[in-house]
Amino acid sequence: MLKIKNIDAFFGKIQVLRRVSLHVERREIVSLIGANGAGKTTLLNVISGLHPSQNGSRIFLDGETRGLKPEKIVALGILQVPEADKVFNPLTVLENLELGAYLRHQDQGQLVPEMEKVYQLFPILRDRQGQLAGTLSGGERQMLALGKALMGQPQLLMLDEPSLGLAPTVVSEIFRIIRSLNDRGITILLVEQNAKEALRICHRAYVLDTGRILLTGTGEELLNNEEVKRAFLGKDYRGKWER
Amino acid sequence: MPIFNPEIETKERKELLELQNERLQIVLNLAYSHVDFYRKKFDEAGVNPDSIKNLEDLQRIPFTTRKDLMDNYPYGMFAVPLRDVVRLQFPMGLYGNPIVIGYTRQDLKIWRELVARIMVGIGITEQDIIQVAFNYGLFLGAIRFNQSAELIGAAVVPTSIASAEVQLRIMRDFRSTVLASTPSFALHIMETMKRKEIDPQTLSLKIGLFGAEPWPESIRQVIESNLNIKAYDIYGVMELVEPGVAGECSARAGLHIFEDHFFAEVIDPHTGQTLSAGQEGELVLTTLTTNAYPLLRYRTSDMTTLHYDRCSCGRTLARMDRVLHRTDQMMSVRGINVFPEKIEEVLVGTGIEGVGPGYSLEVTGKQGMNDRLKVLVEVSPEIWGTKEERKIALQEVVQSALRRALGLRVEVELVKNRP
Repeated sequence: MLKIKNIDAFFGKIQVLRRVSLHVERREIVSLIGANGAGKTTLLNVISGLHPSQNGSRIFLDGETRGLKPEKIVALGILQVPEADKVFNPLTVLENLELGAYLRHQDQGQLVPEMEKVYQLFPILRDRQGQLAGTLSGGERQMLALGKALMGQPQLLMLDEPSLGLAPTVVSEIFRIIRSLNDRGITILLVEQNAKEALRICHRAYVLDTGRILLTGTGEELLNNEEVKRAFLGKDYRGKWER
Repeated sequence: MPIFNPEIETKERKELLELQNERLQIVLNLAYSHVDFYRKKFDEAGVNPDSIKNLEDLQRIPFTTRKDLMDNYPYGMFAVPLRDVVRLQFPMGLYGNPIVIGYTRQDLKIWRELVARIMVGIGITEQDIIQVAFNYGLFLGAIRFNQSAELIGAAVVPTSIASAEVQLRIMRDFRSTVLASTPSFALHIMETMKRKEIDPQTLSLKIGLFGAEPWPESIRQVIESNLNIKAYDIYGVMELVEPGVAGECSARAGLHIFEDHFFAEVIDPHTGQTLSAGQEGELVLTTLTTNAYPLLRYRTSDMTTLHYDRCSCGRTLARMDRVLHRTDQMMSVRGINVFPEKIEEVLVGTGIEGVGPGYSLEVTGKQGMNDRLKVLVEVSPEIWGTKEERKIALQEVVQSALRRALGLRVEVELVKNRP
């Protein structure tokens, strides 16, 4: 579905992505893990057209997306839920959801069944319909952000740190929802600090290290990879002698 | 015939190349950041790993040779700390200048699947009983047959180096359907059957999986008609994984290379130039998924030709011709690799003045296969002129030193040094 090949990206003179190649198949959950500053968010921003990339190619559904404006890329079906500022605080929950369908230029009546689906997935949003998004809890805001993205009918949903700053019980709820979105046929590219959960729910994952992809494998393979365990899962142990 | 991993084995070539490219980037990153040897090698050659954008660019990376592996003993080639390694292997033995390969758990899981792919591709199923008559002590690949057979649910009878008569008895008792061994051992079994007047119809054998030494088509025909089986070739590289780099399918139109894990090139062994499909040259492999021991452009010393057109079996994986000769002097005796330079090392290592270093080799065996190795050691006129007992004693010293170093019984004969 998505094929990134040899992408370079810069912040000024500093190179933040180095010939990154990765692919996402239809109906997969692919996780991207890595330390702070590894380039994970930049990579998502490159895919959604918010950050320029040099060299290489970015193929989505067999079409090149390099050079396309972000709104064009959204219209193709790639939706990104950013880490911060993911909802419009001064607007109500309902207005936020309507905005999610903005690009599809449909009148409100047509949106009702879709909104109903979102409410089924997130019953709490129905209760909060008229409430300003800025007054929601962190977990509710994340659900609203996901609901808003779903209103755009994404084919590829890119989630940037969906669990950040949430209480542990809410975190597991969010991951449950991500999995159920995937069960409904939505392809997901997930960036997460919570490497353990991200590896548990994904089909495949990539480890990004200072702008380069250093490891790849299925979630299970990487959960069992000693280097991943040391770097991301907080495990360190010495048995056989150090080198 | 069924295909074990159809998603990979029948992938469109364009997609397969994309997968290889993606994995190549990762292995380059891993090698450059985790293996001092590669970092130095890249820097010395003035190659920035970030400038390697595709499989063609790979040609700018210098080759890795067996000497590199020896020079970087013990861990200079490892990309992971020793504590992540679950198995160490010494493919050239422990004597003298060894090389050591490490595997992580994940590596072993991958290699296990590769031999299983070959087994399934030639019709082995969970109903089969595989008699493994490889030398488990010296041929490190033997154990892989067990692991891969377990993966597909077939049963393994590890008969190892039991005599042909014992092998035949077990073959009958357990109704073995598959024989995995060196082709020369299959010939030996065949001759024993003739001598003992055992009718192949009384056995349940139907498939032979042979490797670890070169065997021409003529030998295949002899084995097939006499044992009444289908014989298939399996290929590995002892410095990477053996066996499991490539294997024949039911179409027997070359050995399918598992390109999701290896990128294969063929080069002119003299100029190092990359050759195109259909041209014979030395096989060069780059590992794409190995965690512990990544090798970039490793020169295998095996001569072959690559073919990329789709096989009649449905696989899109490239095929290599069967390897019948090498670029170096290595020979395979009863499936055990013998490097002549090792023999010289042993002769010098005895420290006895007048013994070696000159020598010549004689190999003999059935149907032109290497079964017996005789080392003709040159000795000085002084030694040549001494008493017979002393010469016999010397001969025994050399013989046991060679046996220790090569892991193989060899005959030794002293010959007079020609000036």
